[in-house]
Amino acid sequence: MEKPNKIVAKHLDFFYGDFKALEDISVEFKKNKISALIGPSGCGKSTFLRCLNRMNDLIPGSAVKGEVYIDGEDIYGQNIDVVHLRRRVGMVFQKPNPFPKTIFDNVAYGLRVNGIKDRKIVAKRVEKSLRQAVLWDEVKDRLHSSALGLSGGQQQRLCIARALSVEPEVILMDEPASALDPIATQKIEDLIHELKKDFTIIIVTHNMQQAARVSDITAFFYMGRLVETGDTETMFTRPQLQQTEDYITGRFG
Amino acid sequence: MERHFFKELENLKMTILNMAALTQRALESATTAYLERDEQLGQTVIDGDKKINALELEVDQYTLKLLALEQPMAKDLRMILGTAKISNELERIADQAVNISERTQFLSKYPPLNSIPAMEQLIDVSLSMYKKAVSCFVNEDVKAAYEVRKMDDRADQYTLEVLQTLVEYMVKNTPATERRRLNTRRSIQTIIISRCLERVCDLSTNIGEHVAFITQGINIKHQGIDAEL
Repeated sequence: MEKPNKIVAKHLDFFYGDFKALEDISVEFKKNKISALIGPSGCGKSTFLRCLNRMNDLIPGSAVKGEVYIDGEDIYGQNIDVVHLRRRVGMVFQKPNPFPKTIFDNVAYGLRVNGIKDRKIVAKRVEKSLRQAVLWDEVKDRLHSSALGLSGGQQQRLCIARALSVEPEVILMDEPASALDPIATQKIEDLIHELKKDFTIIIVTHNMQQAARVSDITAFFYMGRLVETGDTETMFTRPQLQQTEDYITGRFG
Repeated sequence: MERHFFKELENLKMTILNMAALTQRALESATTAYLERDEQLGQTVIDGDKKINALELEVDQYTLKLLALEQPMAKDLRMILGTAKISNELERIADQAVNISERTQFLSKYPPLNSIPAMEQLIDVSLSMYKKAVSCFVNEDVKAAYEVRKMDDRADQYTLEVLQTLVEYMVKNTPATERRRLNTRRSIQTIIISRCLERVCDLSTNIGEHVAFITQGINIKHQGIDAEL
């Protein structure tokens, strides 16, 4: 059965000052699917990703035109609580960025700032999140040591656990494995597959093989426009447009 | 700067074309040897097959290397998979040329059977189909792939006619004398040659189908011959 749309962007433009970084992006992301955004540097894929939880609001001089709907609600509409939005739409960044706190406190942080103080509930949610991020077995005996003592791959899974702790619906990942070695990368990719059951995932990656391996849907961006989108198998075996073909076969420019 | 991978792809294509040229020569020599009862020419086909087999192994190894090391996508991926299959078809076509030549070695030792017009037509259509299949690979011409497939009907018809002619001949001449038994043996060898040619046509059709896959990512195998783009 076809999955319903989780996120729908309609005629989205984005400006950094006078510079139009995204132009007329209309795209749909299905619930519980992994979508990959690919394209050369500066094509707008990360900018677009950050539009989906309004992270770009923090950039002075930026402006958005068009609409982004999550479950039918326009996230740029009036009366939208941006903090609540970011709880629903979590984010994982390129470089692992754990807080200089214990492993436990990193994961508990989001819960505490959201007013969940009950120790038992917090402990339960921390364990659940670490298990979901497939990190629990590696850290369960040292939950109260510093997160900075973890390896890069473990730190990134900790950041994923931290994002999961507030029970988001969507996870945005901006090159989540680009700073990791192949084994840590593989763990993150396996984890992404696992998380699909419970979350809608959108991942930006420069690594096309990674997009091919992990995603169900691939969207190709070029110079601020969405060139082509389709199921990943088709996009990587017989894309419809020459521009897509040229990019994924390395014949660009 | 041209990407190293594109040179590798070009090399792969050149290896296939080299193999196709040798296979064409084998097929032409085998059919000429049959028509002209030229044992020596037939022997060159048998001897030359080693080279084609070696090229097939080279293509196998090359495609495996490119898949493993370059992780190709889209058309590049289809090109590599397609050429691996085409090299396999070429090797089998060359084997048919060897088979024809081996039958010719036998037939050339004895007086010729009466000429069979369908056999000559079958030879013509096999060579044409083969050449067209190779040129559709060279020019990435999917339309030509459909044309090759359409020609296969004619090949089947000629093969049937050869069979009917020779079965009739054998029925009239069987068994009794030693001379008549020889007629049967010659007829059977000739029927085998017609089957070889018919296989060449099938394999040429396959090459066309692989080209459709390479160029457009479409699968036209096992469709009715009237199916078009």
